[in-house]
Amino acid sequence: MEENKLQCSSVVDGNFEEVPRETVIQFKPPLYRQRYQFVKNLVEQHEPKKVADLGCGDTSLLRLLKVNPCIELLVGVDINEDKLRWRGDTLAPFMGDFLKPRDLNLTITLYHGSVVERDSRLLGFDLITCIELIEHLDSGDLARFPEVVFGYLSPSMIVISTPNSEFNPLFPSVTLRDSDHKFEWTRMEFQTWALYVANRYDYSVEFTGVGEPPAGAENVGYCTQIGIFRKNGGKAMESCVSEQHDQHVYKATMGLTMLPRLVLNFHPQAVLLPNPPKMLRLQVFTTSYPSLQQERFFKLVLVNEVSQQVESLRVSHLPRQKKQDGEWGDKPKDSKAPGPCFGPVFTEIEKAKIENSPKPFCVGDKFFVPLQRLLAYPKLNRLCANEEMMRSVIADSIPLSSDGSAVVADLRDYFDEQF
Amino acid sequence: MTGRARTTARGRARRREQEEQEAPGVPRAPESAAVSEPAQWQRTPRSLRGEGPVVRPRQPRGAEVAAQSRGVKEPGLEAGLKTLSLQERIGGVFQDLVVNTRRDMMHVKNSKTGSEGEAVQLITNHFRVISHPQRVAFKYNVDYKPDVEAGNLRQILLNQHIRKFGECHIFDGNSLLLPQPLREQKVEWVSITEDKKIVKIVVEFSKELKPTSPDCLRFYNILFRKTLKELNLKQIGRHYYTEKIPLTLERRGTRLEIWRGYVTSILQYENGITLCADVNHKLLRIETVHDFISKIQARAYPGNAQQEVANKLIGSIVLTKYNNRTYRVDGIDWNQNPDDTFNKSDGTKITYIDYYKQQHKEIITVMQQPLLISQGRWKKGQTDTQREPILLIPQLCYMTGLTDEIRKDYTSMKHLAEKTKLSPEKRHNSLKGFMKTQALLRLWDFKLDSNLLSLQGRVLSNANIFQGRRMVQANASGEWAREVREIPLLCPVPLHSWLLLYSRHCRTQAMNLAEHLQHVTAPMGITMSPASMIEVDGHPDSYTNTLRKYTRSALQMVRIPCFLVFKVICVLPNDDKNRYDHIKKYLCTTFPIPSQCVVKRTIEKVQARTIITKIAQQMNCKMGGALWKVETNVQRTMFIGIDCFHDIVRRQESIAGFVASTNAELTKWYSQCVIQATGEELVNELQTCLKAALDVWCENESSMPRSIIVYRDGVGDGQLQALLDREAKPMWTYLQTISPNNFALAFIVVKKRINTRFFLKRGNYFENPRPGTVIDVELTRNEWYDFFIVSQSVSEGTVTPTHYNVIYDTIGLRPDTVQRLTYCLCHMYYNLPGTIRVPAPCHYAHKLAYLVGQSIRQKPNRSLSTLLFYL
Repeated sequence: MEENKLQCSSVVDGNFEEVPRETVIQFKPPLYRQRYQFVKNLVEQHEPKKVADLGCGDTSLLRLLKVNPCIELLVGVDINEDKLRWRGDTLAPFMGDFLKPRDLNLTITLYHGSVVERDSRLLGFDLITCIELIEHLDSGDLARFPEVVFGYLSPSMIVISTPNSEFNPLFPSVTLRDSDHKFEWTRMEFQTWALYVANRYDYSVEFTGVGEPPAGAENVGYCTQIGIFRKNGGKAMESCVSEQHDQHVYKATMGLTMLPRLVLNFHPQAVLLPNPPKMLRLQVFTTSYPSLQQERFFKLVLVNEVSQQVESLRVSHLPRQKKQDGEWGDKPKDSKAPGPCFGPVFTEIEKAKIENSPKPFCVGDKFFVPLQRLLAYPKLNRLCANEEMMRSVIADSIPLSSDGSAVVADLRDYFDEQF
Repeated sequence: MTGRARTTARGRARRREQEEQEAPGVPRAPESAAVSEPAQWQRTPRSLRGEGPVVRPRQPRGAEVAAQSRGVKEPGLEAGLKTLSLQERIGGVFQDLVVNTRRDMMHVKNSKTGSEGEAVQLITNHFRVISHPQRVAFKYNVDYKPDVEAGNLRQILLNQHIRKFGECHIFDGNSLLLPQPLREQKVEWVSITEDKKIVKIVVEFSKELKPTSPDCLRFYNILFRKTLKELNLKQIGRHYYTEKIPLTLERRGTRLEIWRGYVTSILQYENGITLCADVNHKLLRIETVHDFISKIQARAYPGNAQQEVANKLIGSIVLTKYNNRTYRVDGIDWNQNPDDTFNKSDGTKITYIDYYKQQHKEIITVMQQPLLISQGRWKKGQTDTQREPILLIPQLCYMTGLTDEIRKDYTSMKHLAEKTKLSPEKRHNSLKGFMKTQALLRLWDFKLDSNLLSLQGRVLSNANIFQGRRMVQANASGEWAREVREIPLLCPVPLHSWLLLYSRHCRTQAMNLAEHLQHVTAPMGITMSPASMIEVDGHPDSYTNTLRKYTRSALQMVRIPCFLVFKVICVLPNDDKNRYDHIKKYLCTTFPIPSQCVVKRTIEKVQARTIITKIAQQMNCKMGGALWKVETNVQRTMFIGIDCFHDIVRRQESIAGFVASTNAELTKWYSQCVIQATGEELVNELQTCLKAALDVWCENESSMPRSIIVYRDGVGDGQLQALLDREAKPMWTYLQTISPNNFALAFIVVKKRINTRFFLKRGNYFENPRPGTVIDVELTRNEWYDFFIVSQSVSEGTVTPTHYNVIYDTIGLRPDTVQRLTYCLCHMYYNLPGTIRVPAPCHYAHKLAYLVGQSIRQKPNRSLSTLLFYL
């Protein structure tokens, strides 16, 4: 795939057909993927809960990040509304997200608007990424950018990437890499700016990049330069957060009164607020993912898991029964060793825990599995901490014994006869 | 919820698959890494699969891989018909719309509406489009240089120039529809992808579209799908679902949730464009393939487990969560596990565990699991190239569809039916408020009526049925079981020298059956001698072994023509398909005699007598008897039914059933089966079948039939022209070669799976139309000689009308005649003393094709061809 891609990606700007391919620098994987991978790694390492991507474009980075279990709020902002609107759908949960809900809630929201406007909805984030963003800002916006992103939004961490113009001579006939770029900085220029900003807003900054220069030209540095800014003093200060919190609610509700098109998250009380201030960003898309934090899906998963476990225990009770009955008379030629046995694999500790829990038992043709036993299985234990909780969740979906301490099932089933 | 049902609602024919997901049930292309990749843009279709865990499987071994090596070819019948479809860009139902079959039939030139029957006012599930764009629209072809595969990326790139063509546009991935022309015939725009690559977009004027052209409708469908998004429905795959608390079903550890959603399609009908809206349901099944395998393993015989798993798993559709694609399982590789490595496209080796962890954040916890093999899907038009198999991890794949346990569980299925089969009243109510948001549509001057379309239908009188010396008529729900109870059959066949096989566990039931049969056959007029009772042991093969033993001796004693005098009844302990298949295969091919299998459970029930009566009747038909006849008022007319069966497990063949009436009373049928390999034309075989059927007719009747009416079922959307060119017309030509000017032919296409519904209004309440209701106005098409008949009655849910389209007719059938005849034929299915959904020959053909496809898998012996042995 990469080969194919590279033939296209080799051209940075200008006419596609006339460029002699041999002389072109090729990145593998392509540079944009390296940039995304960089952010992805950073997310895996720091496990932020709230992440915003400013200048999110076609939302590729968001789609890459949404699989991270740690993220609970993912926001994309871009000035190009069409792109956002169209891409929104691909961020909506899939069928599979309902089959295996996440552990934590996840909301993805896309806003249309400028990144240099103060927006309370982006306050209190753990990570804000500005991938190949700042070079698109004109001088006015660039001047406001630090004040808004560092000063106002003030997330715990900011990642800014921008082209390294020292690398440009390696490309054929290129002045700026994109016609919309207002400038491209050398390492010195970027670092000076970054250090100034970091200093001013009490961040520390560290520089790196992606896109290794080719052999012989190491001195030009990475093709894309990246600055990682960390807020000094760890997470956003408590006082800040609470203070900003009020403002957040205020503005979010303001915005909604302005915008009849906003269908979701509409708070009726918002209508009551007089003279709403000017709205800065439009929410063009929002979606929330099913998760185990939502009762509906927690129940779905737990009940399903309990049913499966009970069924599996029931079936393992059966073969012995069969032998006693001797239903099959002469067995078929199964002298061969049984194949590998499938099913969950337990560690020694888990095994011991299961062994020590109350065993399933039969009374007449009824099969009982104590809830304590079910709780011993790691999969269920992970979902549910205690018997009381399990009972209350499954009670109206699964038959329980009269004292509520065990799940009851019919031991024999018509369908078993097939085997 | 089936694939075929879905195609009828399809509102587009895209050359490229958009990235959006499809509901389970339809296998999807194999790009496993696609979702997490930003900006997919490819020069060639192949490059898309580059990164997925694509590995060539090792040497095929065992039965589980057998399917995979075969599954490379398109099913014959389908392929034959599809090649035509591929030539045009507009596919599916839109292609059918341009086929004008009525033009050539002079007798329906002025009117194709009938007048018989009593008029009734009906409501449909269609909304009339009250205003739609009256001006022409301008269609532009959009090409990308270099080519871009992903549909959504194509849209994004195009949208960069939205100011040049405006917000009001419809883009389907290949062409752009605009209400006003661009300034130039051909323009080139330059777009930039996320990773700063340049793509040239060439937009070239293609044609002006009239507001009524089918191509235009395709765009309207795309437009309407956009508006559905604004209805606050949850989009999953192609359809939209409400988020209300769904229904759950549980059976043996597997839980299902059922969600309600909508299907829509906008099409041109007789008097204008309408939007058809219907309710559909989606199934959520939380069971990974690994859970499924463990479950089977726990219950199967050791040593037999792999085979058992393969039997149950191969052919099923699985869904992978990480990229939301569905795959068909074609094989299981027991020799690999997730710990093994495969080569990524860049040549590096990686284990499956690491790959899924890195790529999709999916943790594989179980090492002891085999890998699933799935043949990818072809890109359209590339059916000749070998597809690369995809290996999947059971733990990460989810099963789709109903479980066997639920399917066989009466209570669960009933529960399911109650919830998903909406009564006309409920269906009407859930559709009524459907048309709320029309904002996007207004941009195009599009306006829909907010009321459901109402029209007039006619209820035909029920056919006269003759059994014994009595004449009866179906009651209001299209049944006459009570009326004919205890009446001798029209043509009873004696039952002498027959075997009854049973296993030890079924001894009581078998004795019971033999005794009851004696009782119930007497009033029917069947003389029956006592059976030879044979006990077999419980082993699956023992039935066939015993049969073999007995028939061998019979072969020596009895001469071949006498075979048909004895038949076999097997009482089976359960409905194990394998055993059933073996018995049927043996008794349909090697030793052709009619046979009847009965599952123990069915004759244990309280109403055993009723059931045994039915069994006796069924046996009588299988031996060549007849239960009743219907007054058709036509002379010398042969009715033919053709239906196809497509095996999902062995995809290379499809099987066509051919059933023809061979006497004027429609009590004798000739049946033959065509097994169609790749690329073969059905028509050659059809000619042989037709010839044979005519020969049999001549044996039964003094003169040849004058008219032949063919009911063709099993035709997909977009195959109408192909059907006309490759079946109807060649058949006519062939009849001319047999005897010029002596035959007349009518060819009628039967479509069961349609989204159109009719409701009968009774006061303030809606109910199903009565059996015999004919609709030949409004929702028919001007270019066709077509009509709807509601012939069956349903006890729950909304009845689905059947659509009939007379595509070829040299008989000159009047609308009233063809409607009445078709409805009469719905009374002729001997397994049910009532009306059915399709004409009996069609259903017989279906039964035949199904039995052959599912169980026998080869042509049944010729000596059975005059019997309804497949009932």
